[in-house]
Amino acid sequence: MKSLQRGITLLLASVSGAAVAAMPDGAQRNFVACPIVRDTASVPCWLAEYEGELYFLTLQTDVSAPVNPPMLGHKVLVEGRRTDKPRICGGIVLEPVRLSVLPTLDANCNQLLPAEAQYNLTFEPPRPPGPSKGRLAFNTLDVQQAEVAPQRVEKHFSIGYDFEGRVGFKHPALLQPVLDYALAIKATSIDIEGHRGAALLSDGTILNESPQLAQRRAQQVAELLQGAGLIGPRYTVRWIDAATAPNGSDDSPQRRVDITVKP
Amino acid sequence: MKLLVTLVWGLLCTVAVQVMAAEDDVLAPPHALYPAPKVTLRWINPGETGGLAAEGSYDNNQGQLGVLNAGGAVTATGHPFFAPLGSNGRACISCHQPQDAMSLSLDSIRRQWQVTQGQDPIFAAVDGANCPHLPQQDPASHSLLLDRGLFRVFLPWPPRDAAGKAIEPEFSIEVVRDPTGCNLHPQHGLHSAQPMVSVYRRPRPAANLKYPTHQNFGVSSFIGKNGLPTARDPDTGKPTSMNLMADARAPSLRAQAADAAATHLQRLAPLTKAQLDAIVAFEGQIYVAQQIDRQAGSLIEPNGPTAFGPRALLKGEAGVLGNNTSRWVFPMEGKWTTLSRGNGAAQDARNAARESIARGHDVFMFRTFWIRDSMHLNSVGLGNPTKRTCATCHGMHMTGMDTANGWMDIGSTNLPWAREAPLNPWTTQKPEMPLFKLTCRNDIAPHPFLGRVIYTQDPGRALISGRCNDIGTIVMQQLRALSARAPYFSNGSAHSLRDVVDFYDRRYNIGYSELEKQDLANFLGAL
Ligand code: HEC
Ligand code: HEC
Repeated sequence: MKSLQRGITLLLASVSGAAVAAMPDGAQRNFVACPIVRDTASVPCWLAEYEGELYFLTLQTDVSAPVNPPMLGHKVLVEGRRTDKPRICGGIVLEPVRLSVLPTLDANCNQLLPAEAQYNLTFEPPRPPGPSKGRLAFNTLDVQQAEVAPQRVEKHFSIGYDFEGRVGFKHPALLQPVLDYALAIKATSIDIEGHRGAALLSDGTILNESPQLAQRRAQQVAELLQGAGLIGPRYTVRWIDAATAPNGSDDSPQRRVDITVKP
Repeated sequence: MKLLVTLVWGLLCTVAVQVMAAEDDVLAPPHALYPAPKVTLRWINPGETGGLAAEGSYDNNQGQLGVLNAGGAVTATGHPFFAPLGSNGRACISCHQPQDAMSLSLDSIRRQWQVTQGQDPIFAAVDGANCPHLPQQDPASHSLLLDRGLFRVFLPWPPRDAAGKAIEPEFSIEVVRDPTGCNLHPQHGLHSAQPMVSVYRRPRPAANLKYPTHQNFGVSSFIGKNGLPTARDPDTGKPTSMNLMADARAPSLRAQAADAAATHLQRLAPLTKAQLDAIVAFEGQIYVAQQIDRQAGSLIEPNGPTAFGPRALLKGEAGVLGNNTSRWVFPMEGKWTTLSRGNGAAQDARNAARESIARGHDVFMFRTFWIRDSMHLNSVGLGNPTKRTCATCHGMHMTGMDTANGWMDIGSTNLPWAREAPLNPWTTQKPEMPLFKLTCRNDIAPHPFLGRVIYTQDPGRALISGRCNDIGTIVMQQLRALSARAPYFSNGSAHSLRDVVDFYDRRYNIGYSELEKQDLANFLGAL
């Protein structure tokens, strides 16, 4: 009886396995957990537990950091690769790692651990406390330079999102080049295609983004570009409702909006 | 019997007020919450002839304010900032007085009530009363102005975008408490023919304005904190820094002045181009900052720190972030950290006060605490919580504003942190502020810190954007000339700088020592 049960489980697993092509590979760690903050003598570290193991997610640094810390009060979707680097703040280092704060509030995610001498950061964190030294994510104005008129060719842009994410503080840096280019070449049409994604977790679970997200993302990008003054071109706004089957190793690029700017 | 007691008490009060007035020309406040000032000042009435000197100084409780007209002396006679251009006798100067750092202090408001028996045009029914329908002779009808320095700001609901198109709000709004009677009033309220939301706000300094209107760091086509399109200056078409007014609804000083004339001044015709030019030119050249501290003495001695006094603001670069290395938010150049003693009691006391200011600066810049659940700060990639300092939010060089759009939620108007009257059977204290219940729609993500149902005294930026995430977010003001313009926060909920510091201590569980609190308040008071 017991072996029969196992047989059924296996069968089910292989069925869903077939549907998703593959399980995440051995070094991949994809999971949903409450983030944990660990204070240190300098800046705090962000950690999360999965299957009895502690993982290091990132440090508090600055707005423009490649990986921004998540939020207490919310679970986080961690999509990362386990490395052999020395542990940081007691956690196995995941790199690269993507963190998505899940929108639902969760009061259980509320762990703030005090500093302990053994978790001393042995390196200088990028930023001391206080305001930043000009490395901010929204430093888009400084990036703009009066460049020679670009060639009037069709150009593709891709705008990425966190899991379940809409436009946020990271997007000005992604939208600005689209706007600049479209204005520079006096674009006549803008094609926008929204996508939503799914994430294959290490335990085999599949998390799907909300059904209408592809549409909402696409429409919002169109609204933002128009709102920013790009009203000349004709807009074609499409979306792909079906989420591409996740493979557990590069699921995040599915969460995107593709933009084609045409002369 | 009871009636008789009340009558006698009333008479006694009147007598007391008259005696005080005779003695030192300072009158008791109608609502005795805060002490009256002991300084002589200069109130400017609309339409007054004369003018402002290139450099003026005005005493306040903490010392002295400096006012600098960088363009030289200003003739008030006939100047549109000074002239009553509308139908209610008010001018811009009514609510933006040089003695009050081009804002309006609660002390001045109360003094004007006494001196004019409530007839000063600042008390005009349109927004100088809790609501226009109330009996205007009764001080109780002006309690928010007289108790907290607040004018009524009435905004259409739902909001409209720059093109005049109605915005579909992400939340519904209900009036939970309406102590002023305005939000449920059939003519002025949310359910009237032209639905309006009334919130109550402090005037903001119409000075040092190159900072709030800068075109520098963080200004681009998309709002740095949420990716939405940035409001554009209707005249130049350029994106703005969105730092004017508590809700950033004014995209430029011209737009602001046009709106102020129509609302505050109740002017029917639009201002002329010449009037707008003169107003904006005047606003663009006037600088204010504290220049003498009651205890620390002159703040603008030649070899002192370069953070202080109106000239520092004139010289400062607008719209750049302070950093911890070369350009500080408020440059102290390490001065005043250790000063000599033994030069007589007066100088020792002065040096001690200067050291306190220097320590307060360091508390502001370096004393970390856990900033938590603050919308548009904890949501912009620093994590929630983030271990940072006052200067994290107040980072703009010279003013401590935000260089990017400055609206954030620190809990000054959103519950559970906003100041609310304690309700119990043993108190006569009554809530003065309106309370709204905002429910965010199910098809958008909940507010990351407050969920879907949010109670607030002032929805702030959300009244303009219609966004759930903007509920209770308020654009920070310049941290300058604070000593001249108490009370603080847009809703006047902090009556002193110490009260501001105590608010933060409570809000973020900072655990400041008594010395840190005093130093921080002294530093703020010197700005
Ligand atoms: C009845 C009082 C009153 C009058 C009169 C008045 N204002 Fe104001 N002013 C206010 C209040 C209140 C605010 C803040 C409103 C808010 O935050 O929503 C304000 C804000 C401002 C600001 C924004 C400053 C900043 O940094 O955000 C400027 C500039 C200004 N007023 C200029 C003017 C001009 C110009 C006039 C005359 C046309 C004028 N005001 C008349 C009360 C007044
Ligand atoms: C999370 C961002 C944030 C942090 C941290 C912060 N502030 Fe503020 N501060 C604001 C905002 C937003 C306002 C405007 C609130 C309002 O008017 O309701 C403000 C207002 C103020 C004001 C009132 C200004 C006025 O003109 O009324 C003072 C003073 C002030 N802050 C000082 C401080 C000090 C001191 C600290 C450190 C203990 C600090 N702030 C920390 C965001 C912040």
